[in-house]
Amino acid sequence: MIDAEERALMEETVRGALADAVESGVEIDAVLAKLGWLEMLEDHPDDAIGIVFGALGVTNATATALDDAVASALGQTPRPDLAVLLPRFAGWDPPARIDAGELHAQGLVTARFATAGELLVVCGPASEPKVLLVSSQAADARVVRGVDPEAGYRTLRLRGSGEGATRLDPAVWRSAVGVGQRAVAHQIAGASRAMLDLARTHALEREQFGRPIARFQAVRHRLAEALVAVEALESTLAAAREEPGPDTAALAKAVAGRTARTAARHCQQVLAGIGFTMEHPFHRFLKRTMGLEGLFGSADELVLDVGRRLLATRRVPTLIEL
Amino acid sequence: MSSSQRASQLPGSATSLADYRAELHAWLDANHETLAPRYGPPGTLDDHVAQMQRVKSILFDAGWMQYGWPERVGGRGGSPMLRTELGAALAARDLADPGLFSLIEVLAPTLIDFARPELAAEVVPHLLSGAELWCQGFSEPGSGSDLASLRCRAAPEGGDASQASKWVINGQKVWTSLAQYSDRCVLLTRTGPPDSRHRGITAFFVDMDTPGIRVAPLEMINGELEFAEVFFDDVVVPADRMLGELNGGWGVAMSILPYERSSCFWQRVAYLYGRLQRLVDVASADDRSAEVVGNAYLELHALRARSRATQHRLAETGTIGAETSIDKVLVSTAEQTVYDAVRRLLPGAVEMDDEAAGEVWRSDYLYSRASTIYGGTLEVQRNIIARRLLELGSDE
Repeated sequence: MIDAEERALMEETVRGALADAVESGVEIDAVLAKLGWLEMLEDHPDDAIGIVFGALGVTNATATALDDAVASALGQTPRPDLAVLLPRFAGWDPPARIDAGELHAQGLVTARFATAGELLVVCGPASEPKVLLVSSQAADARVVRGVDPEAGYRTLRLRGSGEGATRLDPAVWRSAVGVGQRAVAHQIAGASRAMLDLARTHALEREQFGRPIARFQAVRHRLAEALVAVEALESTLAAAREEPGPDTAALAKAVAGRTARTAARHCQQVLAGIGFTMEHPFHRFLKRTMGLEGLFGSADELVLDVGRRLLATRRVPTLIEL
Repeated sequence: MSSSQRASQLPGSATSLADYRAELHAWLDANHETLAPRYGPPGTLDDHVAQMQRVKSILFDAGWMQYGWPERVGGRGGSPMLRTELGAALAARDLADPGLFSLIEVLAPTLIDFARPELAAEVVPHLLSGAELWCQGFSEPGSGSDLASLRCRAAPEGGDASQASKWVINGQKVWTSLAQYSDRCVLLTRTGPPDSRHRGITAFFVDMDTPGIRVAPLEMINGELEFAEVFFDDVVVPADRMLGELNGGWGVAMSILPYERSSCFWQRVAYLYGRLQRLVDVASADDRSAEVVGNAYLELHALRARSRATQHRLAETGTIGAETSIDKVLVSTAEQTVYDAVRRLLPGAVEMDDEAAGEVWRSDYLYSRASTIYGGTLEVQRNIIARRLLELGSDE
């Protein structure tokens, strides 16, 4: 891991570069490549994921770095022409299965799919996963407009031969899910911070009843609650980095889902009329987090899963120590 | 702290916090019979206080109570996290009530930082060993959230503060935990003009057997008598019992915050994991239960992660401040979430069960309603977050 000072500097650099690129309409993946994203991912994966996805969140930049992070965690060398089939919305099970030698795949892909030659497919069950590289030509992908058309998601269905699938250590699949969860949670943390910044600025500038609405306690308390949620999320992300494992990553993603809703609810209420328009940037962050909430497990599904495991084992582990 | 420094202060071969924790838990396992409460649950407040003092005394004799406290007050030095681990272990094992046990964290540091060194060296070991109990006289009937408005008056005998060898205290405190059991009190008094607010407050260390002190316990919502009103009627206190400077009492009160918001919270978190475990032991294994316990667990995890980060920041920088209002919001709401989960998943346990388990759930449930009130209400915390962390400016 890199030290705190170096990390802060890199955060600033990446954030600045992405903000500039968003403003000038430059392609974000190209900017990330120039910043050395793949090298960072190889040398310091945890820091790279935290810095890059946090910056993507706060700037609302659209990239396909998630494909690289997950491919790398699955033991593949990440490269621009390799896309990854992501689990179905809200879930985290492998997005494919092999039945009598035939591959049935159904999941989500990012905009990477449009340019990638190959698609990395993990087949379930999660207890005995297999991994397969297929040509993206073979797949039938449909662009998702959805709530966030700019995000570039596609739904993908694929039937074909399961030949060539190799066994994958179940721990590697779990760890790749954890990487996806942490990456998306970092992006949500950045986007939630951005929503809070927008609402804070609005509260200080918007005057009603002869004063800035930031003077009203009801407004202040909503923003305070949003900050509590965002900071709690950042702490769970730090914990997931320091005590890496499937459980701390899943909990970080669950907290992220909850945080996105809390921050959006309070910030949108404070932004009031203007936050309800396309004119103000708030809607971009709201819509982006709505999509991200479903990647690698929604909060509700993850909470249900962890609760089932607590009850099945009758054990409440503390996971992190001082 | 480097690992080599730490090694000299830790038991046996322990060289890290993790090793210390392992040795501590091994020792607690080995001495479980001696330490376990002698009464069946739920026990009275008398039982809980006696149990805590007995456990402190055993731990003091074995040397555990002294870790993390400075050598000049009889401690064995080392990081304050060592004593946090001890408090958390006791809470997790239900050997001492965390709310009562963690009072040490808001009392001993005050003496260490603000009392005459000889006084601190004399009295702090009595608190650690369980020979004494102390209380904290801060709140008043008219001064709850607005502590700086307190009115309990201390006047110099003879009228001249610089010459006085004694001070005379008159007034009233309220919500003083364990006052009826206490040997001493860390007391905030008004020494400046009535409207001097933060600038005119002075702290004293008062013996509770001084003539003129009357304690009237308050029956709480769960039937316990943990809090008390304390009345001061011409109570004479020697000038050398002043803590810190004359009119420096606000600083004394605020100095407690880093301890309350680090060690005390971590102990509370350990206790809450224990209570969720107790619920998970008996809840039915269906999806409705899974959702409820999953949500409570999620909140506890976020709180634990936050509290961990806060303590590491305190250890690294030596200071924490307004940002701990976030920790306070998280700990107080998580506590209520856990007990709300109990009410939802064990219908009747809190409301109708007169067996021991029901008595415990009922008492703890009712007590948990105070978690968003004591130590600064949720609303006060949000005000602090808005002004200090979000920099929203004044609300006036």
